[in-house]
Amino acid sequence: MTEVHLPPVTEPALEEIERRADEAGVDYEVQLESLNQWQLAWRKFRKHRLALVGLGILIVLIVAAILGPILSPFVFNQIPKPDKAVYAGRPPSLAHLFGETGGLQRDVLQLVVNGARTSLVIGFTSMGIGVLIGTIVGSVAGYLGGFVDNVLMRIVDVMLSLPLLFVILVASKFFGNGNVLLIIVIFGLLSWMGIARLVRSLFLSIREREFVEAAKAVGVRDRRIIFRHILPNAVSPIVVSASLIVAGNIITEAFVSFLGFGVNPIYPTWGNVLSNALTFIPVGNWWWPFFPGLAIIMTVLAVNFIGDGLRDALDPRSRA
Amino acid sequence: MTATAERHALGAPPPDDILLDVRNLRTVFHVMDGDVPAVDGVSFQLRPGRSIGIVGESGSGKSVTALTIMRLLDIPPAEVMPGSEIWFDGTELLRMPMDAMRKIRGNDIAMIFQEPLTSLNPVFTIGGQIAEQVELHLKVKKKEAWERAIESLKLVGIPSPERRAKQYPHEMSGGMRQRVMIAMALSCEPKLLIADEPTTALDVTIQAQILELLKTIQDRTDSALLLITHDLGVIAEMVEDVVVMYSGQVVETGTVDQVLLEPRAPYTMGLIESIPTVDKRGGRLSVIKGTVPSPFNLPPACRFEPRCPYAWDHCRKVVPDLFQTDHPNQLARCHLYTAAGVGRREQALEAHAQAMTVGRDLGGQR
Amino acid sequence: MTKYVIRRVIQAIPVLFGITIVVYGILLAAPGGPTAKFNNNPRVTLADREAFKKAWGLDQPIPVQYCRWLGACNPEVGDKVLGIFPSPLALLGPNGWPNILPQGISGASNGILHGDFGVSVDSGEPVGPRIARAALPTLILASFALVIWIGIAILIGVYAAVKRYSLFDQLATIFAYVGFAMPTFWLGIMLIYIFSGPGLHILPAGGMTTTRVSPPFGAPEYWVYFGKKPIAALLDVGVHLILPVFTLVVVNIAGDSRFIRASMLEALSQDYVRTAKAKGLSGRAVTFKHALRNALLPVVTNIGLEIPFLFTGAIVTETIFSWPGIGKLTIDSTNSFDYPTLMGLLLITSVLVVFANLIADVAYAFVDPRIKY
Repeated sequence: MTEVHLPPVTEPALEEIERRADEAGVDYEVQLESLNQWQLAWRKFRKHRLALVGLGILIVLIVAAILGPILSPFVFNQIPKPDKAVYAGRPPSLAHLFGETGGLQRDVLQLVVNGARTSLVIGFTSMGIGVLIGTIVGSVAGYLGGFVDNVLMRIVDVMLSLPLLFVILVASKFFGNGNVLLIIVIFGLLSWMGIARLVRSLFLSIREREFVEAAKAVGVRDRRIIFRHILPNAVSPIVVSASLIVAGNIITEAFVSFLGFGVNPIYPTWGNVLSNALTFIPVGNWWWPFFPGLAIIMTVLAVNFIGDGLRDALDPRSRA
Repeated sequence: MTATAERHALGAPPPDDILLDVRNLRTVFHVMDGDVPAVDGVSFQLRPGRSIGIVGESGSGKSVTALTIMRLLDIPPAEVMPGSEIWFDGTELLRMPMDAMRKIRGNDIAMIFQEPLTSLNPVFTIGGQIAEQVELHLKVKKKEAWERAIESLKLVGIPSPERRAKQYPHEMSGGMRQRVMIAMALSCEPKLLIADEPTTALDVTIQAQILELLKTIQDRTDSALLLITHDLGVIAEMVEDVVVMYSGQVVETGTVDQVLLEPRAPYTMGLIESIPTVDKRGGRLSVIKGTVPSPFNLPPACRFEPRCPYAWDHCRKVVPDLFQTDHPNQLARCHLYTAAGVGRREQALEAHAQAMTVGRDLGGQR
Repeated sequence: MTKYVIRRVIQAIPVLFGITIVVYGILLAAPGGPTAKFNNNPRVTLADREAFKKAWGLDQPIPVQYCRWLGACNPEVGDKVLGIFPSPLALLGPNGWPNILPQGISGASNGILHGDFGVSVDSGEPVGPRIARAALPTLILASFALVIWIGIAILIGVYAAVKRYSLFDQLATIFAYVGFAMPTFWLGIMLIYIFSGPGLHILPAGGMTTTRVSPPFGAPEYWVYFGKKPIAALLDVGVHLILPVFTLVVVNIAGDSRFIRASMLEALSQDYVRTAKAKGLSGRAVTFKHALRNALLPVVTNIGLEIPFLFTGAIVTETIFSWPGIGKLTIDSTNSFDYPTLMGLLLITSVLVVFANLIADVAYAFVDPRIKY
């Protein structure tokens, strides 16, 4: 028997198939393929062209970040002998695809690739911390409710009222001192609030629903119901939020490093590369700030596209 | 309008005593999965001051017909096919430039919709919304427009109209909001009032009030009424003539007595038969088996054929027109009323009469 | 309505209180404390540090410092409870009334509640006036940016929604995505290169005034100059405003125009739009009167919440363009560990955020008749 795979069928179509099979006198058997939540999500994600583009860009960046410094012909941190005649740095050429910086005349492409490492690591790791803290706080607040919930939410309000950049600047300078790990922690500590609110509202809504029925059942059972029902629902909005947090943190890190408060200038990040480039603008060096900035834009775009794709893919109501 | 419609030569305008003349209206929706012929060759006429009802299930094309008359459809997905003509008061509507159409909308033809809450703008007072229309069409000053708005609120029986006029839609009940919609529609004394499922979203008791109101107003203002509904009971109460639609086509027309008491099209017969009456007590509930065909997968000829208890091979091969039945001015889209169907006609009418008294036994599946 | 506003203000108080605690905590908990600025200076001895601390009242335990900073404790009362907390006696001002009350009643004049933000560790100048002086340029920058940003975002958003899928819409979408991903300072740098760099050189690269022509902004000489040549002065500032404002607004316009477009599309698909058309209203009346009014409701809240970001975004913009505003002050004081100024700035901006939220809520309740307050 030949197997024919059809897209999901509707009832009239099914009737039509039956009728035609009847008329033709063939034997048929209809087997329904059921997909679980994740397969369905992946299928929807695949259809989102922009998300795939974003994913592609991100993969390229990650590969470049990992392999770049290893494969590059320029030894990291080796300061080449600057050519005094070309103080402003040479524009893009075959030897230096993104051109050279002014002053020390380092290869811009190498700076971009090295910067990718730092920026991506900071972005993703701080997101991880933020998501972890946010999920815990949100769950506790939503589950326990009452006074605890109130207090936690007031704290969230206070944290949200602090002007983010300001606090990060001050904290990075005073506590961070250029140390990448500390900066990651600081960023993480300042990006959990949105997730906390999200998780909390999810808990609250589930509690409203199941709780009434569960009140009649055995006490132990309702805890399991809550965990088994809430977490799958929570994953999708958290994932979407997380992608936005990554994008936001990458830009914030660039800001902070640009202002000189971030990562120790010995390690290039896109931000501090840009701050060094500022002084050479009057001399006409545009490629030095241009390419790192472009890298930031591409990364943020990529993450945003992926976030969009994830949002559509994980939404149970959108069509496969 | 589309240029293609322009090229098709117009027919002659209808005589003076016909207010609305819809001729061969075809509206198609171009969607991702294909083309949906939502209205496929609908024609009917309406005289001034008279009332006509369009009955049909969801998806039969009745609302789209009304929206096409008002030209409220978004033209990119929708397209009115060449050959369609809508004559209103001596002018053809589909070929009119849009600003001329806007002068007619709300002024000569007014429409009320199904959901009164979402159909009213939540951020403006109801008085303001009525006055806006009056100001636009009757060219009066704000103050006078407001006075008239209050007048029309009185007309529809809303108590303390001066106070109510300053309220917002969410501050009123469903029935009252629908009254406001009616007031708004009538504020410029239109010649034709189109009501699209005006009572479907309301409680049964309110329903009766609103229908009563519509009737009174129609008598008083002498405007014609085009009522769209799926509820046969409403039709029986409110209109003089009936158009029955199925799957985008008109399947029967006639007076309300003719169509409801002596239906001729098998679909209408099925509808009437399915109304449970005391006589049928103890018998089976009668249904029209099967479902409405998908617009992408229409039957080859008669669209009702797969579900019709009287169909034969002819019905699968030749598309039926609206034929004259044995009653004057009652038309049905069915081959039973052609030469080919003469023999079967008696049987069908008898089976229907039977089913009306004892209910139909569904027998074996086809 | 007034009751609603009062209620919201009262709700905001614990948040403001919490903010002061966090602000204070961050700054004083930094390693090295307030004397961190001396960390790299070998000539400063430990004795010097202690003297410094004593002079600035920094040798008191933290709760005491906080209380005095707030203005709730009398700095002349040194008694403590448990060695850490201020004694209840300290809560009374010189006149015997609670220290918190206004000077006229309690005789107290210390702390932020009495308007005393301390003195800059750096320059010795009182913090309050220093911030005020920096506030004006930032206000000018922010107000222009706000008006332009909101205006253009609405125009783009509405037009893109009305002409959905048109070329304009697609370009607007691309602009929105890219603009949103752009770090403002990168845009600023590129703009400086293009307009003030070796190429075009038509716009100034920074500052608020042209140094050859006018005295620095804000100085007393400036106002004299302004009085004599108001138009020239205005034009001068105007020309210097172009690039910074542009830099500030692009990112916001990008984000908001998408939001407005979505909101507008939502409004346009509502039933009442169909009713408005059925009444015979012109396309313009339908779009701008009926749909836009509804579409702008969520936008009001959104914009209210975004106003604080305007100020934080100004930090970077002011740095690039050497604009003598609050942002620049922030950077400078952070660099010089100027605690009092930093605390003052942080406090003011946080209060601004709380107020922006408050105003956003009240404005929404005001424009949406469905909200019951």
